[in-house]
Amino acid sequence: MAFAGLAVAALASPLLAQGGLLESRESLYNNIFIFGDRDSVTMTFGHNKRYFTESSMKLSDPGGLTVDYTRLMSVGIAYAPKLERVLEIGLGGGRTVSYLSAALPDTAILAVEIDKDVVELAKKYFKFTETARLRAVVSDGRAFLMRDRETWDVIMIDAYRGPFVPFHLLTKEFYTLVKSRLSPGGVVVQNIEPSTMLFDSASATLKSVFPSVDLYDGGGNVVAVGYDGPSLRQSDLAARAAKAQEQYKLRYDLRTMVASRRVLGRPTGKIMTDDFAPVETLRAIEQNNEKWKEQTEAPR
Amino acid sequence: MSHSIRRGVLLFGLALTLGFALMGFEMLASRYLYPYFGGGITTWASLIATVLVALMAGYLLGGALVDRTMSPRLCGYLLVIAGAYLFSIPLWVDPLFSWTLQSIGDGMAGIIFGATTLLLLPLTLISVFTPFAVRLLLTSVTFGGRLVGYVYGVSTVGNVLGTLITVFTLMPMFGSRALTMVFAGVIIICGAVMILNDRFLRGGTA
Repeated sequence: MAFAGLAVAALASPLLAQGGLLESRESLYNNIFIFGDRDSVTMTFGHNKRYFTESSMKLSDPGGLTVDYTRLMSVGIAYAPKLERVLEIGLGGGRTVSYLSAALPDTAILAVEIDKDVVELAKKYFKFTETARLRAVVSDGRAFLMRDRETWDVIMIDAYRGPFVPFHLLTKEFYTLVKSRLSPGGVVVQNIEPSTMLFDSASATLKSVFPSVDLYDGGGNVVAVGYDGPSLRQSDLAARAAKAQEQYKLRYDLRTMVASRRVLGRPTGKIMTDDFAPVETLRAIEQNNEKWKEQTEAPR
Repeated sequence: MSHSIRRGVLLFGLALTLGFALMGFEMLASRYLYPYFGGGITTWASLIATVLVALMAGYLLGGALVDRTMSPRLCGYLLVIAGAYLFSIPLWVDPLFSWTLQSIGDGMAGIIFGATTLLLLPLTLISVFTPFAVRLLLTSVTFGGRLVGYVYGVSTVGNVLGTLITVFTLMPMFGSRALTMVFAGVIIICGAVMILNDRFLRGGTA
């Protein structure tokens, strides 16, 4: 069996993860592949190099976050005035929520994942364990938010990697819904891939709903933080980050993260709505990876 | 151009246009359904099934009506109703689907209810056209097989163009709501053409 797995991996794109194929599963939404070797396990959603790796973990260090941007997804902790309830849309291997759950002992975390097989595989291969404070529900992220009236201190959105871009999680109407489910001072944290025109539109759309949007360079991916009210002073945010860092002793230091903050000042993209969201067309237009920084300024 | 050729050109032109709009609406409907029911294979299965049910109902209804009436005007009125219904979709779709999500949920029942309210009635009325076109063009049983083949072939060419052009060109340019109204307007115009050319399409002189 191991040999057969290796043969499949060898036939597949060399861009794929290291190691042999451990399991492949055709779910209602994805073709999920789990690759692994002695020290790592990786989840991908297909053989095309554009179908990004969904999640990965080092077996010798399951608590670590191997992908740069996933560490940055925790930056919302520095912004939120309280951390009672955190929501993540898009579970993947569940590494980010597991990290947060371990770091924040008094926070209830809920992950909304559309694909029940992703949840099962996260449990099977990525040490994702549901507890009283960390739960997963199977639902479309937007449908969940529409029906669930609770509010959240941080909402993380990491749902549109992989082979399909769900347009309905990138529109003004969606972000308006997200905003209505944030508690006072709450923030939305979203992973956005910056190499195509879709980045410009996604960040402009976020900015059309949230008066303040900060961007963080996550080495390939960009993490956007949106919140109500005027842009936080850098000194205030740094103080909050220091306080949270002191309190939670986070492995990935919030102070370093907020030091790399950029403020979205001049979004150039077209705002997307439920009516007009040509996500596939925008994603097809590639652009310079670093160009997004021209739309930002240094925080004050 | 002889009378029967002109009649053929008009009916085949309508078959092409209506085929285009029909699949265009199927693709547009996905944009209305995604925000409420998610964008997975279940949404597409419900949507495709709904469209096929509409085609079946339309073919049955159209066949029965054309044999009884031979009336292009009747088919035209049905197209106008379909167009008016489709034109109104952007006005009520959001409140209705919010209600659906809260009361029925986002499972199979909810998605099929959503797809049905969007498309079943108007697409049934649009597909009534196909048997009308066949019967109105049929002058001799000798050519019956070919004629049915042509009508379905032309209509399917419209389907293919409607699917591809709507998704790759029109939706990224105009957005879903505006496009829904434009397509609905085109269907109303097709209906009006049939009403106004009733005598001509029956085989009389225009």
